Amino acid sequence: MPELKQKKVGIVSCSGEELPEGTVSRLAALKVLEELRPDETVTICLPLFLAGGEGDRAFAKFYPTIAIDGCNQRCAYRATEMYSNTPAAGIVITDLIKDEKLERPTGCRHLDGIGNYLVEAAAAKAAEQVDELLGKRWSRQQGRFDKADSVNTQETAESAVPQTMDVSVQATCSCGSGIPTQKLSVGGKDLSFVALPLIFQNFAEDQRSPSAQTLDALMDTVRLYNSIDPELEAETRAAIEAAYQAYWADRN
Amino acid sequence: MPDKKKVIIVPCSGVGKPFGTISREAAYQVTEEDRPERTQIVPLSLLVLGDEEARAALAEADVITIDGCALVCASKMVAESGAQVSASFNSMDVYRANRQYKPQGISSLNEAGQKLVGLLAEQIDAAVDKLTAEEEQDA
Repeated sequence: MPELKQKKVGIVSCSGEELPEGTVSRLAALKVLEELRPDETVTICLPLFLAGGEGDRAFAKFYPTIAIDGCNQRCAYRATEMYSNTPAAGIVITDLIKDEKLERPTGCRHLDGIGNYLVEAAAAKAAEQVDELLGKRWSRQQGRFDKADSVNTQETAESAVPQTMDVSVQATCSCGSGIPTQKLSVGGKDLSFVALPLIFQNFAEDQRSPSAQTLDALMDTVRLYNSIDPELEAETRAAIEAAYQAYWADRN
Repeated sequence: MPDKKKVIIVPCSGVGKPFGTISREAAYQVTEEDRPERTQIVPLSLLVLGDEEARAALAEADVITIDGCALVCASKMVAESGAQVSASFNSMDVYRANRQYKPQGISSLNEAGQKLVGLLAEQIDAAVDKLTAEEEQDA
């Protein structure tokens, strides 16, 4: 049975190919994705927010996201915020350099010693942020941490020390896959519903035929990932019912 | 050639697959080693944000894009910025033509990946030379 994607943290890295700090941010992101937190993180390429589809733009709403930027232009943070959702956390390499009173790194293609040190430092910081974010409850409906949830207001536990793995693990890349969405006509408007295709698939594979009871459960699941306008509640319910009936009929 | 405009290279900014790394490494090879005086990298992230300076640089120059997958973000973003793509490459095409080299690794490419970087850089070098020659003829 397909599963709705488990909770992970998204990592969006600056591309900054013209600056050594850009290389630092990219390699730090990869270190988190491949070595430090491979099972807990997923990435997406920055331009896909524009060049990709709607599912790609839902990325930072679906996953709490950490932006790793090379300089104070903060392209990764700002582009994520502009086209997807406000990142849950951010790291800026030039801030790390300032904080640690370091010289600027050199070498875009091959980093020097300072650059390599910064990769380790930024990756460790990002891994700590991943742990912190996973300790809270992310609302995919709101695209942020729900402040009303008591878990989110508690102090987080001490940051875990990142463990480096000996084996190389491929980074989990969301490029091209995105978060599946489906458009429905609701009250004369075309509205997008995040994860709806997967929700339908799950229900159908559980042999849950269209019924009032199934529809109640469907609506509860849809609400986990989407904000439903109370004024359009009845129309939304009708549209989802019709869409699921059509999906069910196609499968059976 | 201080008065000549540089050819702008816009590589894929992919961080999740080896083909993105191949595109970026090839861009570095061209701009840092093979044709440093005639080429310059413009990062895709600035174009995504609509940076005026980056857009202006593209508007006045020959632009070469290097993509890393079928989504061709670099080519799409350059076109979106209103610039003309003079030549476009895709690291996946280089692999398709040289399947004996199977690239692996993202932060650090394996030897096969490095071979593909070299082959791709050669193609880009040739495109840079052609564009430069055309510009010299026009001048």
